Amino acid sequence: MADAVIQLEQVRKAFRTPAGEAVPILDVERFEVMAGEQVALEGHSGSGKTTLLNVIAGIMRPDSGRVVLDGVDLARLPEAARDRVRADRLGLVFQQFNLLPGFTAIENVLVAMAFSSARPDRSRAESLLTSVGLGHRLSHKPAALSVGEQQRVAVARALANQPKVILADEPTASIDPAHQQQVVDLLKQTCQEQNVALVVVTHTPEVAEQFPRRVRIESFNRVLAKAASAGGDA
Amino acid sequence: MTLLGIAWRNIRQRTLTSSLTVFSLALGVGLVVATLITGGIVRQAFESGTGLGYNMIVGAKGSPLQLVLNSVYYISKPIENISWEFYSDFQPASRRSDGEDGDFASSVEVAVPICMGDYYRGYRVIGTNADLFGKLTRSRGTPFAFADGRNLEDANFFEAVLGASVAADTGLAVGDAIKPTHGADDGPEHDPFVVVGIVAATDTPIDRGVFVNMEGFYLQEGHAKPLDDEEEEALLAAASADAAVDATAASDNASSGPQPLPEAQREVTSILVKTASLPGLPPELTSMGMRTVINEGSDGQAVLPIGEIRQLLDLFVWPLERLLLLITVLVVIVSAVGILVSMVGSSLERTRDVAIMRALGARRSHVLLTVLLEAVLLAGCGGLTGWALGHLVVGAIGPWIATNAGVSASVLSAAPGAELLLVPFLIALAVAAGLLPAVMAYRTDVARWLQRGG
Repeated sequence: MADAVIQLEQVRKAFRTPAGEAVPILDVERFEVMAGEQVALEGHSGSGKTTLLNVIAGIMRPDSGRVVLDGVDLARLPEAARDRVRADRLGLVFQQFNLLPGFTAIENVLVAMAFSSARPDRSRAESLLTSVGLGHRLSHKPAALSVGEQQRVAVARALANQPKVILADEPTASIDPAHQQQVVDLLKQTCQEQNVALVVVTHTPEVAEQFPRRVRIESFNRVLAKAASAGGDA
Repeated sequence: MTLLGIAWRNIRQRTLTSSLTVFSLALGVGLVVATLITGGIVRQAFESGTGLGYNMIVGAKGSPLQLVLNSVYYISKPIENISWEFYSDFQPASRRSDGEDGDFASSVEVAVPICMGDYYRGYRVIGTNADLFGKLTRSRGTPFAFADGRNLEDANFFEAVLGASVAADTGLAVGDAIKPTHGADDGPEHDPFVVVGIVAATDTPIDRGVFVNMEGFYLQEGHAKPLDDEEEEALLAAASADAAVDATAASDNASSGPQPLPEAQREVTSILVKTASLPGLPPELTSMGMRTVINEGSDGQAVLPIGEIRQLLDLFVWPLERLLLLITVLVVIVSAVGILVSMVGSSLERTRDVAIMRALGARRSHVLLTVLLEAVLLAGCGGLTGWALGHLVVGAIGPWIATNAGVSASVLSAAPGAELLLVPFLIALAVAAGLLPAVMAYRTDVARWLQRGG
């Protein structure tokens, strides 16, 4: 059986209001993703999906619990060390791809390499872009690329540092249906080829149903269950 | 891609803003560099006057500084003249009509007369003798050289030698004749003097002088000292007794040409004195003792040019240079504020880029360093452009400086020490200017930015 590359145990996270009141967002007893697994994470707006991704990525530190990414407990690490783990072991794809507008396609990939422990490798960046069909667009800036091409650069960038996990936060939310399918296909295919675990946050059922494992955040985030039961009680 | 590469790319992303920032800084740095170099040139111009091979100037009583400015730099008006008799006190027996050593002759190695009052096309005409270029030096022991022709000959009364700047400016060459004017540029013209030599450039005030044989100078209209009745009678008596009146070695040759002016009608403006090293005594001590004796007497004053020039530099030149430098440094600081404004102005745009980079794994220190590098790169580009601009400005005004200050200045003129100091100064300024935007970037909250959905 494959090892878990993401493990969350007893993870709690709350935000503080300006008045100082703690508003719980996450309360996860256990959540795991295995190596090479492809997961669609569903949930309605405000259900804590993005917070969950931020916690897994080490961008946010949980208030309590363990967040183990590829064997490293991020919850115990200071910010700089979490940044290093994120650079070395994780790939991120954003909702709007978020390429750096002043940088060419290959530079957008090289930037991701600049922060990792490995030396920036131009030939690897070229090879990644070629593998997503952009070998002929290396020196084009995002403004000169189509939406489809931008999403491919974003995927290549996420793979830059040979991550064990890719987290994609609603990567199809701001694009038309034709391109949605391209993004899903590209992510699934690339992660499968490179044995990278993939967690895609989505609120689109048509996207979610293409993944072998579909998880609704309500099923393991006890904050939502408590809120629902409180609502029900009311 | 390195952090430096990311910073450079950030700059190129905002080409117009970055270019304007660099341009503004370049103007400021250019001003500083030009001020530093010209300041050095001015100082060199003044200090060049201290190494001309004499260590004392003797002239009429009055302002010591005026005597130095007049005799060394050929600027300012002469105070008054001193008598030929007093001048003769510095001459050995061979150069005196009475055949005896002058009172100070034993303490003097050479004493060169300077006579002023005439002009040629804006340049001072100096009546002197062959000793100026023959026995004094152009800079601390280096003899004068002639780019063309030769030195004055005392026997040939109507000869002239030109400084390098004068020759370059007027286009005069050996063999040409010049007619000095009396008292001012538009004064009455004197007899012609033939140019026999052009002194090779010295980077000293000599380059701006027109030097004529003192004997010919004396014979010009208005140059003979008016005599009172008693002096006139004595002169006539001396003439009838066929007394020699020639004070120069030219008397033999002059018998068939113009007769030299009688000593009684002669005066000199000042004397450039190189004191002798007396046995067991350094020349400085000789000059100090002689200066005391002269200054206690009523015939004139003796000044040590080095002391006066130092005082001039301390009192006027350096404070002025510092003031100019302060102003230009303020200009650079204002330009650096331009970097700050430009970088803070683009901070909104930067926040998004920083958030992306942070999400990709950039640490806060990476972000801080990248923004500081961006500021240093902008300052570096501005500094380098400004440095080149400053040298170009000096190169452009070089001919004017050479003509007016007698010091050569070109694109390659430099103030190496001060210019090198600009490097840490600019880096410090860039870091100071980049600190606020760097801290703003450092504090970018990635989670909040991602929470907004980008």
